[in-house]
Amino acid sequence: MGDCAIQNHIRRLRFDHGEMTQQALADEIGVTRQTVNAIELGKYSPSLEVAFRIAAVFGVPLDEVFRYGDRPIDSAGASWRRRTRRA
Amino acid sequence: MSFREKSAWISFVSILVVFGAYFWNANRILQGAVETHRGFVISVGLLAAFVLIEIVLHVTVAMQAPEEALAPKDEREQLIELKATRVAFQVLVVGALAGVAMMHITRSVWVMGQHVLLAIVFAELVKFGVQIRYFRGGV
Repeated sequence: MGDCAIQNHIRRLRFDHGEMTQQALADEIGVTRQTVNAIELGKYSPSLEVAFRIAAVFGVPLDEVFRYGDRPIDSAGASWRRRTRRA
Repeated sequence: MSFREKSAWISFVSILVVFGAYFWNANRILQGAVETHRGFVISVGLLAAFVLIEIVLHVTVAMQAPEEALAPKDEREQLIELKATRVAFQVLVVGALAGVAMMHITRSVWVMGQHVLLAIVFAELVKFGVQIRYFRGGV
């Protein structure tokens, strides 16, 4: 997941919610603290279910938590199609 | 470090150390450097030591974080395990095919058995190694 284009604002949202700890968030969404940390650092892209659970904990829409980087989605799709054609 | 990552490290290091000694001993038996019965006793002792080391270290680590140890694997941990198992399976297949090729080199069932065991152990080593890599570097 080194070239993961998904960015998130979980750190800021935790701060805005009374400095919620990673462990508290992890307990709310049913994953380990290490997984929350990996998501925050962009080392792991969560499933849709976990992504929605995170948004629900902060009471915001999904796109306020996650963002698909700076690249337009179309160009990312083209890059993926090129890779799959080569394979 | 999470309980699962610690567990992967424990298994990786204990497999490396104990089975390193095991195959060194097996090679000595093959070379005739050690008497067969004594070599067999050492091998069984090493296998028993492996089981004991795994149990003791896992219980020790689990006691430090009992809730984490008892909790089911979350989606990231499951993904890491699946990806690592896929890589390890490919290694195991190559090892098994090499085992088939061994039939043309030796007729010794013991040697072929050790070769199969080596393939399994190496695949397990790869599995835990890949898990550690994903735990540390992201998946």
